[in-house]
Amino acid sequence: MNATEIIAELKKSYDGAIRSADICGKGRFYIHVEPDSLKEVCQKIFRGLDARFVTSIGADERQYGKGFLVAHNFAFDKLHLLCSVMTRAESEAPFVQSISDVVPASNWAEREFRDLVGIEPIGHVYPKRLVLPDGWPDGVYPLRKDYPWNKVPEGFDENRGFDFDEPPKGCVVVPFGPFHPTLDEPAHFRLYVEGEMVRGCEYRGFMVHRGIEKLGDSVLTYNEIPMAAERICGICGCVHNVAYAQAVEDAAGIKPPRRAEFIRTIMLEIERLHSHLLWVGLACHISGFDTLFMQCFRIREPIMWIAEKISGNRKTYSLCVIGGVRWEITDTLADELKAVIDELEKSWRAVVSAVEKDKNIQKRTRDVGIADKNLVKEMSLLGPVARASGVPIDARKDHPYAAYADLDFDVVTAETCDVWGRLIVRMYEVFESIKIIRQCLDKMEKGPIQAEIKEEIIPGRYGMSSVEAPRGESHHFVITGENNRPRRWRVRAPTYQNLQGVPSMIKDRSLADMTLALASIDPCFSCTDRLEAVDINSGKIKTYTAKELEQLLQK
Amino acid sequence: MEALKIIISGLLNALFSMAIAPLIEGIMRKLTARIQSRQGPPVFQPYYDLMKLFIKEDIESGDYPLMQRAAAHLAFASALTVTAFLPLGFGTGFSKFGDVIVLIYLLTFCGVCALLAGLAAGSTYSLLGISREMMMMIPLEPILAVALIAGALNSKSFEIATVLNGSVYNSTAFPVSAIIMLIIMLLSIQAFTQRVPFDISEAETEIMDGPLVEYSGPKLALFRYSRMIRLVIYSAIFVHLFVPWGNNLIFPLGFLVFWAKVLLFTVIITVIAATHARYRIDQAIKYFAIMLGVSFIALLLAAIGY
Repeated sequence: MNATEIIAELKKSYDGAIRSADICGKGRFYIHVEPDSLKEVCQKIFRGLDARFVTSIGADERQYGKGFLVAHNFAFDKLHLLCSVMTRAESEAPFVQSISDVVPASNWAEREFRDLVGIEPIGHVYPKRLVLPDGWPDGVYPLRKDYPWNKVPEGFDENRGFDFDEPPKGCVVVPFGPFHPTLDEPAHFRLYVEGEMVRGCEYRGFMVHRGIEKLGDSVLTYNEIPMAAERICGICGCVHNVAYAQAVEDAAGIKPPRRAEFIRTIMLEIERLHSHLLWVGLACHISGFDTLFMQCFRIREPIMWIAEKISGNRKTYSLCVIGGVRWEITDTLADELKAVIDELEKSWRAVVSAVEKDKNIQKRTRDVGIADKNLVKEMSLLGPVARASGVPIDARKDHPYAAYADLDFDVVTAETCDVWGRLIVRMYEVFESIKIIRQCLDKMEKGPIQAEIKEEIIPGRYGMSSVEAPRGESHHFVITGENNRPRRWRVRAPTYQNLQGVPSMIKDRSLADMTLALASIDPCFSCTDRLEAVDINSGKIKTYTAKELEQLLQK
Repeated sequence: MEALKIIISGLLNALFSMAIAPLIEGIMRKLTARIQSRQGPPVFQPYYDLMKLFIKEDIESGDYPLMQRAAAHLAFASALTVTAFLPLGFGTGFSKFGDVIVLIYLLTFCGVCALLAGLAAGSTYSLLGISREMMMMIPLEPILAVALIAGALNSKSFEIATVLNGSVYNSTAFPVSAIIMLIIMLLSIQAFTQRVPFDISEAETEIMDGPLVEYSGPKLALFRYSRMIRLVIYSAIFVHLFVPWGNNLIFPLGFLVFWAKVLLFTVIITVIAATHARYRIDQAIKYFAIMLGVSFIALLLAAIGY
């Protein structure tokens, strides 16, 4: 089946519901549907055609006379297709049919555009606030175009607590977070605990939502956004950097030079290496096995150094510009990189064989945090979580980008559906990454690393990009716009989907397994709500509080 | 005069274990660091840590600050009392005023203090911590009691000095019960000293140090200190019961042999702690239920002279 056939089938089933459909290049198509048939079409795509839900986008296009845009993105992984189902909502009191009852994975995404853009999903299964704090006034939608990026609304009560649901009878509430040793970033789980058993939970997060999407469509320009995009995540920033650049290139029809694609691949794999090593270490730390934690970090360090040598930074590589990359990998750097991964492969083999033989770790991780194939489908779980349940999805294979189409590597899967499976998948993916980097270094040919962009990017075009982050697929969606910046830029990090699967993974399990189950998705909340400034002349350190910082920004 | 001498000898024991316990902790930390390819803190770091905590502000916190204070002091005091009874490379005049039953009571009391501490703090995490602590205490304390009582049965005496002198081997030429108890004690010593894989009641990454979550400053120092001393106590009891050889040599020699053995024993504890992941409470309970069952068999064997 290809895009044409899918569109033909949809047109046959829902005659008149489909206004138009565009096939844009290889592997992308957009379907515009009547608002009344949105739910039917999405149900058909999700259930009938077995697509994976990716994310939902709400965009304010009133100033172009088009009302509001709502798009639900789906991925046909086996067919290598990304698809967006779009519909319009009117300018006054916009609403759309909610698809959350037929596509459970869309629960958060719909609540997000309800909070931020003010499009009401009618018939949503759990219409509670998700992103905005409960102290935020009703009827103020920060992602609308007429809302300034730096405005704090009147009547915003920042000290107001969350409104929580009633816990079930006979359960004690154990607060997990916002600050907890295993969470390196703030997120709040209200666990309903009976004895040592978790009976349910409520999640409240988005405490440090930084409005990067808003900055992207109101302040920054096309080539400034990669820097902001990179800072979405503290571990896999390069992924967002590349995904954004690719989404814009997809929309504008720019093809980066071959060498740039190879360099992107190498840097993405370097990032995967350090992220997986970090995760294995942290998983060991959480289960009390500090020795392996320390060894993992020791092995990881040379990767950080070589990344710093290539890009000037251990973590934030600032790799992409639209149509290319900033950093060249010279021959000396290539040799050094080779030496680093050779050494890594050797020491990693030792770690893997130690972990595989360890009965103790298996005892703690087997049958913990179960996510079966059904849950993977319903919640559209991603990355190692899906692969450990025997679902071989990997954006590198399914929606090839950069140089991945020309490289030989395997998608590692496991069948155990538990934390142990995720551990095995991540450990073996390290070897695949090493393989990929080696091939890149061999195959890479000399050439330019940035494409020449002569024309301005035409406004109003759509672009999508999926990049396989260490935690799963990161998806970026861009609508190009005027003033050298996109009209709308939507980011969906893998944790967004995986976190929605956590309540099912921890239900009716011991509290001690909670931390491991949560950690096994490798959660990545956003951080930074304080800033430290060093006065270079006196060496004095001043730490700004959120409030002071706000005042500084508003000056 | 006699009374004074006894009191001094008891005090001397307490002071000596207070002096040496942080050093042993420091050696363990250094060793752990080496296993983890780290530099590690200097061996005297625990002394500095304790000093720092003692001079910090004493903050009242938790639901019952008074009980919290009492728990910390009682934990420390009970640990010190045990050391007063315990021969530590030199005999103590104190030991004839108690028997091994007192020893068992006092050691259990250390655990009870942790319960009090958790109750006083009143936070969800500390309550979870004490429920885990209690679940661990139920199978654990009898194991130690069985080991001591098996020794007492063999030597027909409950006197500390007699029992704590390899008495488990006193029955026959090949004491089956002693060997079983030796294995069981080795398998459960991590739990007595609250080290990985059985530091379940404190589990930092799960319940944030459990009963101690509300503690800080001098009170925390007392708890830390008593934990270090308890390590010395359990190691000493183990050495006395199961590897007594050479303890009774003339003064500097016997003393050195005894402490060398204690140190070696703590090294074993450290290595096990550094190479394991933490068990879950239900897994631990299952494990200790088996240990307890086997130790009762050992007690029966000891009673009929094997």
